[in-house]
Amino acid sequence: MRLFVSTLLFWIAAVVPSLAAEVHPPSQVLAGAAFSMPSSGAGQGTLYLIGSAHLSKRQVNLGTDIEVDGDDVQHAGRYTVILCTDQCSASEFYVHPAGPDRLSLLVHPSRVPVSNPNAISAVAVVWDVYHNLEISPETVKFTVNPDEHTSLSEARTTNNGIAWIRLTSAAKSGVVKLQASVGKVSEIRVVQQVASDACNLRIHASSESKKIVIETDPVRDCSGNFVPDGTVVSFTMTDSAGETTVDVPIKRGVAKVEMPAHGHARITAASGVVTGNELNLAGGGE
Amino acid sequence: MNRLLAVLILVVTVTFVAIAWLQSGGVARERMQSAQTPEEAVRLLLTEAQQHNFDAAYARLENRAEVDKSAFIRDFYGSNGSLLTYAALESFDVWGLHANDHEATLRAKLHYSTAVGPLDDIRDLKAEHDGSTWKVVWPTTHAPKLAPQVIPVNYLRWDVINRGAEDDWGVQNVDSPQVRIVSMNALQRADRVVVLGEIVNEDTVPAYVNVGATLLGQNQQELAQETSFDKISHTLLPKQVSPYRIDFPGMRLDKIKSVRMDAKAMLVPASADPVIEVSQQRLEADALGKKILSGQLVNQSGQIVNIPHVIAAFYDANGKVIWVSDGYIEQELMPQIPVAFAVDLPDDVAAKVQSYHVVVNHYDRQSS
Amino acid sequence: MKTKAIMRRALLAVSAAVVISVPASFVTVHADDSLPKVSLNADNLGPRSIEELTSKVVARDYAFAWQTMAEALEQNRPDLLDGYFTGIAKQDLAQMIADQTKTGVRVRYVDHGHKLDALFYSPAGDAMQLRDHADLEINVMDGQKVIHSEQVNLQYTVLMTPGADRWLVRDLEVAPEAKP
Repeated sequence: MRLFVSTLLFWIAAVVPSLAAEVHPPSQVLAGAAFSMPSSGAGQGTLYLIGSAHLSKRQVNLGTDIEVDGDDVQHAGRYTVILCTDQCSASEFYVHPAGPDRLSLLVHPSRVPVSNPNAISAVAVVWDVYHNLEISPETVKFTVNPDEHTSLSEARTTNNGIAWIRLTSAAKSGVVKLQASVGKVSEIRVVQQVASDACNLRIHASSESKKIVIETDPVRDCSGNFVPDGTVVSFTMTDSAGETTVDVPIKRGVAKVEMPAHGHARITAASGVVTGNELNLAGGGE
Repeated sequence: MNRLLAVLILVVTVTFVAIAWLQSGGVARERMQSAQTPEEAVRLLLTEAQQHNFDAAYARLENRAEVDKSAFIRDFYGSNGSLLTYAALESFDVWGLHANDHEATLRAKLHYSTAVGPLDDIRDLKAEHDGSTWKVVWPTTHAPKLAPQVIPVNYLRWDVINRGAEDDWGVQNVDSPQVRIVSMNALQRADRVVVLGEIVNEDTVPAYVNVGATLLGQNQQELAQETSFDKISHTLLPKQVSPYRIDFPGMRLDKIKSVRMDAKAMLVPASADPVIEVSQQRLEADALGKKILSGQLVNQSGQIVNIPHVIAAFYDANGKVIWVSDGYIEQELMPQIPVAFAVDLPDDVAAKVQSYHVVVNHYDRQSS
Repeated sequence: MKTKAIMRRALLAVSAAVVISVPASFVTVHADDSLPKVSLNADNLGPRSIEELTSKVVARDYAFAWQTMAEALEQNRPDLLDGYFTGIAKQDLAQMIADQTKTGVRVRYVDHGHKLDALFYSPAGDAMQLRDHADLEINVMDGQKVIHSEQVNLQYTVLMTPGADRWLVRDLEVAPEAKP
């Protein structure tokens, strides 16, 4: 009889954990939305709510619905709920993003040469209000405003929260606005379309007392856009005194330099990898 | 006994003083107080200049009436924030070129330590026999002065407003400039591997550039990593080209399978000025017979350029960069005043050079 | 009598086993200092193709990120996150550590490795999205007591962006499709 009672007590001790208080969360909830979870058992227990960016611990009354505040589930992902009395039991649920509310818009480059195919890329990353990646497919509309009167749009569906597009730069230099929008959210980025390399770089020279003044024609690219001020034009003059070089930045559309005159001189100009015409001066003038 | 001790102490003290005097070059100084030879005269002058004893050095000049004392001091230790103002005369060598009983010509090589490394300055000096002593005839350099004037400058400058550190990711920002290494050549020199070439700023904004190279062995393992350090013009205006050179001391080219190049560019505030003309460039041999590229720098702006730095790329007949030399100019660049420069190149390279390209880097007090 | 003695010994043995099991599990989850194994599959990556060096660096830095995250959570040290986390991921983990400090509860990861699938590499090379199949043992401790322990295979959606000399984890979320 004693043996029977001892065995019974042993088995009761072994089975007790399986009778621990439990909590039953919904399998999924929306980020930031309050909800309640029924619990079993009686008396008080300790509830642990553990997500990837949130951890809370509190005392709860067992056998009632346990309320979870929206602030406790703002971060999307997997949550583990642990309810402890003498023993602990655990369950899990997922928090889903609350819907598109923010956009990260990556546009590159911020400066692009004109008439460059697929040179501009725009990547839109869609987030909810709590900065959770909105992984359900959403339609992102990319709109380009080359000028005040023109607007071109194209829609892309997000894949794992990301949509992207490639664009060709226009032939005319200037600012282009690129907008991405999803629902009521939109972001705008600005891309500076700049002149390409100089085209038909031409120089001319004139004499001033003992100096030669060498000047470029207005420097433009092959589409007729002015090459930006500050772009360096390298002038090289070879005469009896040796070689003279000057790196001159373009100012107000032209590059201009004065060099000493020593009889016959050969003058060339280059900007980056682009070379211009050659001048041969006899005695210091053209 | 006490008297003996006092005498002993006196003798020991005098002995120590004498030793110290001898060790500090007292004999030589004493002998040179009245320079008996032209070489002694120059050595004495340079010793006093080295010790910043300019009154004594100036008193050693034969042509004091023609030499302004402040100009004489400037000849040794610079002015206007030039490289010599950050230098110390460490030592010097003097040797005679030719001499007779009345006058002599000598060559002095002055070894400076400067903020950018050692600097050698070679000067030819004359000495004249004046009564019982020799005195130095200091070369009179009448630095050309620019007439007071207003130099109009269409000031062109770039400033940068970057994204704030606390701004969200993905907000509007400005990209780093696009730069490209346009050429690269790896050479074996006697004691090192040298990687050199040119880099261009392809963008429309200035770039602060640096070139790095990693030597990879037969199994693609990294053998060494270096950067161009100061052998590059770091600030490149749009479409500007700079040579670069990276030295790997102690490395052998035959151990290297490939070189990984890395060009880094940052967006920096910059000014398009000053414009510096590089004139009268020519390859020649210097007084010591070394091959050099010499020329003149002319600062076309109205501001003083404190420390000019010349970097030259040398090309062979195929337009390939075969060497890059650089050198700091000890003198500042005053507006419109030409200043001579020279950079050397190895004799074996000089024989192959067909053309060259010089860029002038500059360090200015205002911008530092 | 003999049976009673056997029964008593059996009960003692079971009790001893129960008592020993708690510190034993504590020892098992002791911090692993070695770098977790990370493999990267970039076969289906686009639109930009991954550079060889980048693929190595991304895998290496992701491994470092997990190692430092585990250490930061273990030691309640948010400063450890600076090395390999940025943006919202760093902010979230810092919040987690603050919560751990406040409650005295800690989450411990025993990392058994990660299989990364690169999903998206932006055309400009400034963002990469990855899917991580992580094999983990997660232990939740209140003080020194293990209140929950589980072996899980989780799927993480990861966003990494390049820093000055490394790739940083910008977003790290457990994907809901994950099967525990």
